[in-house]
Amino acid sequence: MNEVMSRRTFLKHAGVGAAVCAAGGLAVQPALASEGTSSANAWGVLVDLTRCNGCDSCALACKQANQRPEEDQIPNQLSSDSYSFVDRRVYVGDAGQEQQMPVKRQCMHCLHPACVSACTVGALTKTPDGPVVYDSSKCIGCRYCQYACPFGVPTYDWANPLGLIHKCQFCISRLDEGEQPACVAGCPTGALRFGTRNDLLAQAHSQIDSNPGRYIDQIYGESELGGTSVLYLSGVPFAAMGLPTLDSQSPSRYAEAVMRKTPVIGLTVAALASGAYWLTKRREFLAQPEVVPQEVNHDR
Amino acid sequence: MTVEVPLRQKQQTTSAVPVLDRRMVAALLAITVVIGAVAGILRLVLGLGATTNLSDSYSWGIWIGFDFGLIALAGAGFTMAAVGHVLRRHEYHAAVRPAILAGLAAYVAVLLLLVLDLGRPDRFYNFMLFWNPHSPLFEVSWCILLYTGVLVLETSPFFLERLRWRWAGKVIRIVAFIMLPVAILGVTLSTLHQSTLGTLYLNMPYRLHALWYTPLLPLMFFTSAVMAGLSMGAIAYWVAGRVVHKPVQPRVIFGLARIAAVVGLFYLALKLGEVIIAGDIGLALAPTHYAALWWFELLVCVALPAALILLPGKTLQRTGIGLALIIFGVLMNRFDATMFAQILPPGASYSPSLIEWLSTAGILAAAALAWILGVRFLPIFETGEADHHATTE
Ligand code: SF4
Ligand code: SF4
Ligand code: SF4
Repeated sequence: MNEVMSRRTFLKHAGVGAAVCAAGGLAVQPALASEGTSSANAWGVLVDLTRCNGCDSCALACKQANQRPEEDQIPNQLSSDSYSFVDRRVYVGDAGQEQQMPVKRQCMHCLHPACVSACTVGALTKTPDGPVVYDSSKCIGCRYCQYACPFGVPTYDWANPLGLIHKCQFCISRLDEGEQPACVAGCPTGALRFGTRNDLLAQAHSQIDSNPGRYIDQIYGESELGGTSVLYLSGVPFAAMGLPTLDSQSPSRYAEAVMRKTPVIGLTVAALASGAYWLTKRREFLAQPEVVPQEVNHDR
Repeated sequence: MTVEVPLRQKQQTTSAVPVLDRRMVAALLAITVVIGAVAGILRLVLGLGATTNLSDSYSWGIWIGFDFGLIALAGAGFTMAAVGHVLRRHEYHAAVRPAILAGLAAYVAVLLLLVLDLGRPDRFYNFMLFWNPHSPLFEVSWCILLYTGVLVLETSPFFLERLRWRWAGKVIRIVAFIMLPVAILGVTLSTLHQSTLGTLYLNMPYRLHALWYTPLLPLMFFTSAVMAGLSMGAIAYWVAGRVVHKPVQPRVIFGLARIAAVVGLFYLALKLGEVIIAGDIGLALAPTHYAALWWFELLVCVALPAALILLPGKTLQRTGIGLALIIFGVLMNRFDATMFAQILPPGASYSPSLIEWLSTAGILAAAALAWILGVRFLPIFETGEADHHATTE
């Protein structure tokens, strides 16, 4: 309910924002810095929730590939020990029938990642190939990325006195060696598919078209937040699967529009302050320099 | 009538706060500082997980809340520097020094709180090495660092004037010579990071409740920082008078409070207008804790103080209550944005740990104690007649 509410009002705020930006000359340009340079061949993963049987193989393969402790223990949330997990959702159909739904979760590798835009030191970056990667040597542990990410993906290693952020990095080192991400390789049912995002989108659309009734007519991640590298197909509404209802625009667009104006704002303030000083000085000079000028109205 | 008020005020001051009490206050603060230092060291050694109740679903707690709140209140430094050095409003001259000293004390506290909260405090300097100019927190970090430097320069005459060394006078003249550009730099840096703290929340459209989330957040944060800064400026001047047992000029407090209240009315219109235009007034009328907090911020902490300060028949006491409410409200606004107005992931909960409380109390007490000692032993409080024009122009 909150998700729905905040989305609805967010859209309305967008109107105010656009007006403000126009008035202040803050052009909200589509080219955001957090966009990176996503190429046409950027990678993606298609998660077909209708094929997932909830075996948790992917989550365990993920742990192993990332050398997380307790390799055999099935995770039930994202944490610094598990960069992926299979969420369990109960879907209540129209006739009241309950359906157990496993939903694999991990970083969505957004096309406009808010975490990248927010990170104080640029430890998070979007690579042209799609993965949103993390340079642990830069991170100061401010945890702003945790608040910026709409999916609650970055996790902090709380147990470590010098803890760092942990998140799925799309198995970037495996991709560099020409392999699939570990979770995809570990999936026995074909619910996870790896490929270029463009190919996967095309396949997903034709799957929806050629299997009437099997899927709802939406690919989650096609337009959410301006697009994500991980895409989902489902037979039931995504909101019921714990995938939040989101805008089709970058969540960082206002922040970046304002941040880009930093030099202009700074120079304007400095100029205004200098001008104000010059004016008061001049007024004092004109009103006889020895006498402290008597200000009207403000002191009583 | 305005002549009688300060006299009565002075009598109250001397009878209500005898010397022994002041020593006890100082001793209590010092004890709080020591306990807080122990708590802080424990946190640094043992880590966030062992010493705080923070978690992945509630990752920022009272350290960040007080941090962002304190930055707004420390707006006393730049607003009063603007009033005194840039706009040269001589009638408020007496209130400039207490405010700028409070600014320095608060910003040092801000830096300490930030270091406590960082997951990698050993790398606090990384924002200087690795740049992400799109990150609001990157800009805020730089501005806080640079502005603390500005505050050191702005407060340096207070220390230099105490020194009886021969070269002190020369240095004072040099500082006085560069004071104007330094003050303008301080106003610029403050405008930037006070507003950018609002921009910080623009990256969280799905986390911050719609009554608070608006693209106007940077403007709102700046406006409320000016309002809180002027109020703190008035209060700092008032308390400084008590610390040194000297009468304050009521017109300084009334005047600053008046400007703060007018800024507050603008802020009120901005907040209310934005929610109405965005069509969110329904959210403000819904029976949620969000709506209650939002109205409390606006009615009790902006509208009511504005009335207390601006309506005819004002007294120092009434004005003081108004100023305190404004300060509390802005502090609360920062806490709301950081904690209470966040739409939390399911199952998220947080109540600060003892170490979080003690370390926070220690840092706040240290700032208060440093400020009180500064006011007591440095040439901070001026009665207004003998202006140190040579050093403050
Ligand atoms: S899902 Fe979150 S962590 Fe992953 S890229 Fe998007 S914003 Fe960043
Ligand atoms: S916690 Fe690390 S990765 Fe996250 S925003 Fe801060 S510096 Fe960047
Ligand atoms: S891509 Fe790699 S790190 Fe990410 S969820 Fe899959 S296995 Fe885990």
